[in-house]
Amino acid sequence: MLNEIEQNRKERQSAWEYVINYFRKRSIWLLHYCTGCGAVELPPVMTSRWDLERFGVGPMATPRQADVFLVTGYASIKTLKRMIRTYEQMPKPRWVIGFGACTINGGIYYKSYNVINKLDRYIPVDIFISGCMPRPEAILAALEELRNMIQRGEAKGYDRYVKNYDWYKKNQKEILEREGSLFGEADDENK
Amino acid sequence: MKTSDILNKTKELFPYIATELFEEQQGRVYVCSDHFLNVLVYLRNSSFVHLANIFAIDWIEEKEFELNYNLWSYDHNSSIIVKVRIPREKPEIPTVLDLWEHGQVYEQEIHEFFGIEFAGNPDLSPLFLHNWKEIPPMRKDFDTEEYSKRAFDVGEREGAK
Ligand code: SF4
Repeated sequence: MLNEIEQNRKERQSAWEYVINYFRKRSIWLLHYCTGCGAVELPPVMTSRWDLERFGVGPMATPRQADVFLVTGYASIKTLKRMIRTYEQMPKPRWVIGFGACTINGGIYYKSYNVINKLDRYIPVDIFISGCMPRPEAILAALEELRNMIQRGEAKGYDRYVKNYDWYKKNQKEILEREGSLFGEADDENK
Repeated sequence: MKTSDILNKTKELFPYIATELFEEQQGRVYVCSDHFLNVLVYLRNSSFVHLANIFAIDWIEEKEFELNYNLWSYDHNSSIIVKVRIPREKPEIPTVLDLWEHGQVYEQEIHEFFGIEFAGNPDLSPLFLHNWKEIPPMRKDFDTEEYSKRAFDVGEREGAK
């Protein structure tokens, strides 16, 4: 059994990577970007009731020193612009947690004209937390899962961003620098 | 002075307006766009010095926009809403910047979200929306759901493998 696990591991990552990942997963600095209402669940998670510190996770004030980018909820178009800038400032390896239904498909803001629906189209998300808003336990579970993914070498959002850079940039541009109306001329005449 | 007395007095001075006592401390004044500035000047000079808000309503079936000027008097502890209707086609109304300087933000916002022109306001640049190319979004004939579908809900995540 142990041999099997060892074998699997070796196929995916070298011993050196394994050790690095082991340490990486044990000191995660969170950049909690409080875009939406879900952010109110973070103070209890970080303070004594659920105490995030015991997992080696702490809040970080600047993107240049953070590992995990926590997007807490809906992102308006103007926010998206800042988010992309923040994300690109973070050093690799960097991970993104999409927090709440709004980051998955728009949630209750699905019909809104100024809130994006799928966060994954603009920056690569490693793990989503469902719920509107997610309970602190769910946040802890997600962090735990992210730690496991880091250890297994599966959380590779930053690689995805590099490999599909054109695709992400195209999507971002579609929103931020679109030219012309989305409704055709025929639609305009009716209005 | 009670709100009802204020309303009666205003009505005496401006016979062409309609007034309504909505609640004990809240009155409403209906006036056309030609005369609304007179009423606002009068109210401002009779202690309604606080412009709390300006907001617009789109009455699409009646083909009209309604602008509401929300005034408050600290002396009488009462509020008066001045309601002005303007046609939906080429909506334009004089600015109230000369009376209340801080009306700037409200007028800018209404211009952005309803497309109403405020004649005399020097700066109606966009405040909130980013790169907006459609009709103003708070108009009733703007289909937010369809817009959201076309702008944000396109394609699957197939590119991000
Ligand atoms: S998922 Fe719910 S709680 Fe989170 S940002 Fe959206 S509406 Fe707010």
